[in-house]
Amino acid sequence: MKYFYRFILVALIVTVIAVAFIPGVDDYIEQTFQQYVGRAAR
Amino acid sequence: MKIAKNVIIVVLGLLLIPVTAVGTAAVKQRFADGPNRVFSGGRLVAGDLHTGPEPDWSFVKDIPTIEMQLVEPARSRRIWVAEAEGKLYVWSGYMSTAVGRLWKRWPVQAERDGRAVLRINGTRYERQLARITSGDVLDGISAAIGSKYPSETTRASVEAGEAWVFEAAPRN
Repeated sequence: MKYFYRFILVALIVTVIAVAFIPGVDDYIEQTFQQYVGRAAR
Repeated sequence: MKIAKNVIIVVLGLLLIPVTAVGTAAVKQRFADGPNRVFSGGRLVAGDLHTGPEPDWSFVKDIPTIEMQLVEPARSRRIWVAEAEGKLYVWSGYMSTAVGRLWKRWPVQAERDGRAVLRINGTRYERQLARITSGDVLDGISAAIGSKYPSETTRASVEAGEAWVFEAAPRN
């Protein structure tokens, strides 16, 4: 499990950096989120 | 038992990745000049502030969405807009579902303080949102909405509280 925790930690840091700084990633995340929320709200 | 616990930890850990991605994107958008899709943006800063006589709002028939910022709280979102009999209207659906009420908080905020700024085609307009809950005026608004969008907003749905409609009136 120790390696899994490390993997998750690295994945979270990479996720934050990618969404915050790589152009287009934030828009992709928002688009995907919109699809799920739109379905759930109906 | 230990296997089950580890499976739960793995599932929760993996779920944390998309949750973090969504949270980061939402926080990032809060600092932007305007909204993007569903996440609220910050204050509408760019664009000339309209002054002078009331515009002919018929041009919004060709505009899919506009940006709208409430003065309090100063957050902006992208919404649909319609014009009926020379007046401008915005609305929110899903107001009778729990997810919808969590997702769409601006109508409740607008009912408390209706001061708003709209940005349309790069121009900002200071408006006052006034909720319309009933009346014959909803027939015209529903027709304008239905002719422009695949929307289920009708007079009946507005009067039932399923959709909240606001007139974006001039601010005095």
